[in-house]
Amino acid sequence: MKTGIRSWLDERLGISSIAGFLRKKMVPQHRHSLWYYTGSAILLFFAIQVVTGFMLAFYYKPTLEGANQSVARIMTEVPLGWIIRSIHSWSASFMIAFVFIHLLSIWIAKSYRRPREFTWMSGVFLLVFTLASGFTGYLLPWDDLSLSATKVGTDIPRSVPFVGVWVTKFLRGGEDVTGDTLTRFFSFHVSILPLLIFAFIAVHVYLIQKLGMSLPLSVESKKEKVKELPFWPNFIYREMVVWLLLFGILMTLAIFFPPSLEKTADLMAPAPEGLRPEWYFLFLFQTLKIFPPKILFINGDTIAVLLMFAAAILLFFLPIIDNKPAEKKGKVITFFAYVFIVFAVTMTVWSLL
Amino acid sequence: MKLKHSFFTRRQFLNGLLGGWAGAFLASFLYPALKFCFPPTREPDQVVLPFSDFEDMEPGSVRNFSWGTKPGMLKKRADGSYQAFVAVCTHLDCNVVYLPDKKKFFCACHDGWYDENGVNIGGPPPNPLRQLSVKREGEELIITKKSVE
Repeated sequence: MKTGIRSWLDERLGISSIAGFLRKKMVPQHRHSLWYYTGSAILLFFAIQVVTGFMLAFYYKPTLEGANQSVARIMTEVPLGWIIRSIHSWSASFMIAFVFIHLLSIWIAKSYRRPREFTWMSGVFLLVFTLASGFTGYLLPWDDLSLSATKVGTDIPRSVPFVGVWVTKFLRGGEDVTGDTLTRFFSFHVSILPLLIFAFIAVHVYLIQKLGMSLPLSVESKKEKVKELPFWPNFIYREMVVWLLLFGILMTLAIFFPPSLEKTADLMAPAPEGLRPEWYFLFLFQTLKIFPPKILFINGDTIAVLLMFAAAILLFFLPIIDNKPAEKKGKVITFFAYVFIVFAVTMTVWSLL
Repeated sequence: MKLKHSFFTRRQFLNGLLGGWAGAFLASFLYPALKFCFPPTREPDQVVLPFSDFEDMEPGSVRNFSWGTKPGMLKKRADGSYQAFVAVCTHLDCNVVYLPDKKKFFCACHDGWYDENGVNIGGPPPNPLRQLSVKREGEELIITKKSVE
């Protein structure tokens, strides 16, 4: 039934065409359908990050003197502040975990192939922005651990010839990590990166709607017709079940394992022992640690950093490198996905020993 | 000399001119914006310390001072002379600590080791710790960059 208000709005906003699209949109059902839920899980955690992030910014002060204290205040004085920070911290981990799962599922299923190259590439940008959000957010509590992690992280680009020094200076706002770095990271974390993430999610989701859901090879090669489920409302209901489940796990962890806060960072103090970055950077951390100081007169970390950049660029151009038609198998590419998983897991476990 | 064939058409030339102008116009905005993003660096040319603060040091011990925004370390050698370091790891910029019982500098970030003269001896550091020169003038210790000597 079209009420007066509805048709009045429709005439001005064109809602019915969007609703019609959603009603017609179908999601294929097969034994790999589970991976379709990883994308919307990321959106759920991003939404949680935005809301809890706004709330934390009500109390947080991005200054050398005030940062650590304001986080301590959120944890101890602000009503339910501890749980908001805990949710923000846990949801960041969940978001990044699902970004990796999402990426690997698409890598192995070869869903990035023609015509979905740009969907993949916008996804790699989103990966970088998500990791950057995690990295910049780690500094904001301004304790000894976050200071040293930031020193290391912002020093990494320095090894890149020509531009590296300037990148490090740009990230730090000078030669060293100081109060200028803190305000800069705050600006990245609460303004620049979220805007970029919103923009790239828009492109990413638009492309998914335009190109439709991709089918994995094993399903596509079968002759019989694939079962489908209407996106609205059937698939959305299923997604809601997944969201509720994930939110329950998130809340449980957030309540029982809130993040700690060390004493305020001292720019002159030696790096604390047992220093570690967040879990999603551990494999890179360990890689940097095991590279020898010199390889044929070149700094070991220069080579390590250049290799990491090369890997990121290869990842970005994966759909161009593997430009086989969608129905061809790609065993080598799948093999590299598993190599990456084994490498990342091994390095992570090693760094924890 | 008049060329028979032109390398580009009049349209291409004008488009190139317009594009080049637009590029230069944008660059004139980009340059000051970039300039804004890099605050002046603050590495000091010299730091003056009162000698009385360091007079009572045991030989072989170290004491910290501020080298601009970086930590500096003053070490008293066995013969009573002083040696100054920028106490920042040459691997990835973490602050190092001096372990007097081991007579070594240690960086906890990636397990880097330096001997008592700041020479890198273990772990990932590629270079020795940066040294500063120390001069005593009356009741003051003057710490300067090595290159300024």
